[in-house]
Amino acid sequence: MTQTVAAPAPEVAPSTPAAGPQDHRRERRRHRLKLLALHASTLLLLLSAWWFVTAMEWVSPLYLPPPGDVWDAFVRANTDHPVAAGSDRIVRGEQGYYLWEHLIASLQRIAIGVGAAIVVGIPLGLVMGTTWLGVVLEPYLNFLRSLPPLAYIGLLIVWFGIGDTSKVWLLFLAAFPPIAMATISGVHGVRQDQVNAVRSLGASRRQVLTAVVLPASTPDILTGIRVATGFAWTTVVAAEIANGIPGIGGLAYLAGNQLQTALVIACIVVIGIAAILLDLGLKSLEKVLVPWRGKA
Amino acid sequence: MTDRHDRRVEFRGVRHHFTVGGAAVPALDRIDLTIEPGEFVTLAGPSGCGKTTLLRLLAGFMTASEGTVAVGGDAVRGPGEERGVVFQQPTLYPWLSVRRNVELGPKLRGVSAHDRAETASRYLEMVGLADFEKHRPYELSGGMQQRCQIARVLANEPDIVLMDEPFGALDALTRERLQSELLEIWRATGRTILFITHSVDEAVFLGSRVLVMSPRPGRIVLDRPAVFSDGGVRVPADEIRALPEYVALCDEVRGAIHAPTAVA
Repeated sequence: MTQTVAAPAPEVAPSTPAAGPQDHRRERRRHRLKLLALHASTLLLLLSAWWFVTAMEWVSPLYLPPPGDVWDAFVRANTDHPVAAGSDRIVRGEQGYYLWEHLIASLQRIAIGVGAAIVVGIPLGLVMGTTWLGVVLEPYLNFLRSLPPLAYIGLLIVWFGIGDTSKVWLLFLAAFPPIAMATISGVHGVRQDQVNAVRSLGASRRQVLTAVVLPASTPDILTGIRVATGFAWTTVVAAEIANGIPGIGGLAYLAGNQLQTALVIACIVVIGIAAILLDLGLKSLEKVLVPWRGKA
Repeated sequence: MTDRHDRRVEFRGVRHHFTVGGAAVPALDRIDLTIEPGEFVTLAGPSGCGKTTLLRLLAGFMTASEGTVAVGGDAVRGPGEERGVVFQQPTLYPWLSVRRNVELGPKLRGVSAHDRAETASRYLEMVGLADFEKHRPYELSGGMQQRCQIARVLANEPDIVLMDEPFGALDALTRERLQSELLEIWRATGRTILFITHSVDEAVFLGSRVLVMSPRPGRIVLDRPAVFSDGGVRVPADEIRALPEYVALCDEVRGAIHAPTAVA
């Protein structure tokens, strides 16, 4: 054993140098702090510009309310409060739900829609990428992908009713083409010799798919899921236009109709932040699931 | 099922051409070749002469335009576990650790976890990667990746090992070390090996039988037994390379490569 340790040692290429790891970590932390400071100051600058424009009363609060009003609307939407100034009637959040409950409702729809899209899109992409079905079905997939969701939400409501079913269908239809397309391009990107190698090890057709084609396509599939999730967020407002309460997209749309500009902006900010956080989560999942990305 | 040790390789009247832009480009011309079980056959020739085509026909990655390729009397109809392939570029799977890559063949064939762990350990030890089994392939150097690929093929216990310029992309030192390791593995396991190379020295040094192929369309123009790798005699590589017989065979092989019309 000790002998084999000694022999191949000079051949190890990319191991970290002995003095390295701690210096590296410190440098990375410094880099991260710098980046954080940059983001924080950009945000601060934007907020002050916003505050300055509204404080100078250059625009009417109906078009652009000051940051303070948006914060108040955000707090109001998350608490029990009187229905109007001086009234005794206490209401819960907005439209009978707290803002975070609206958010959760939308997140649930997205989760079900994207979840179903993953369950359907990956196998469909694998089949389309490996058989003649790909040639037959690709135009339809492209057709579906190019439709704006608003165009067919009416149809879905006719088919599935005004309840949650039509909304989840819309999110599913928006999310599954990018996942299927990404899977197909992943399958097409598998190196022929990687397939030949496993066949020479005795793999059956099915084993070629599960042992090589699917894992080799995971980087592309994960990218597809990220794209699909982003797409689902942009679709959620369309999905919740009709009977979308609770739902953060529905609330944004309703508040806009009622000229509650501050609440609209609060909803937009919440949607944006939630989408970014979700994407960051998926991105770190990528690092765990495909550590070889860009290396092999 | 043919007997494991009776897997004779036979090429009978094999021709092959590729279709490029509608025109047929000949790659192999009338190959008749028999490889006996246990032989270490090296095949040398200029690049583009069809060496790789011959190997891929035997591997079952493609079908000959004419003639038959048979192993143990059965025509080759596709890749099979009895014919392991070591590619020029290591085709290891980055989602598996080094050990799992080596275990893959037995796993696909349904060998129990315990048995395949044992097999993998044996071959990882043999190629000197026992201490790197938990690494991912991309964390290894090129030479180590190639050794891992060889271990993966051997762990599947094929009767015939097909090697397509496996050391072509390596530096000279690594290459020489892997050559002697391969010879030891061959002596220890007695597998049939078809080894393709464009290096005359490598062909003569490794092979128990040396073949030379002419430029496209490829034909076998020289077929000589070589004894330098054979038997249990352990003569240092430098001394082998200094033997007059060795130098003479090298010259003959080199002459055959440069004279396309040479006769076998």
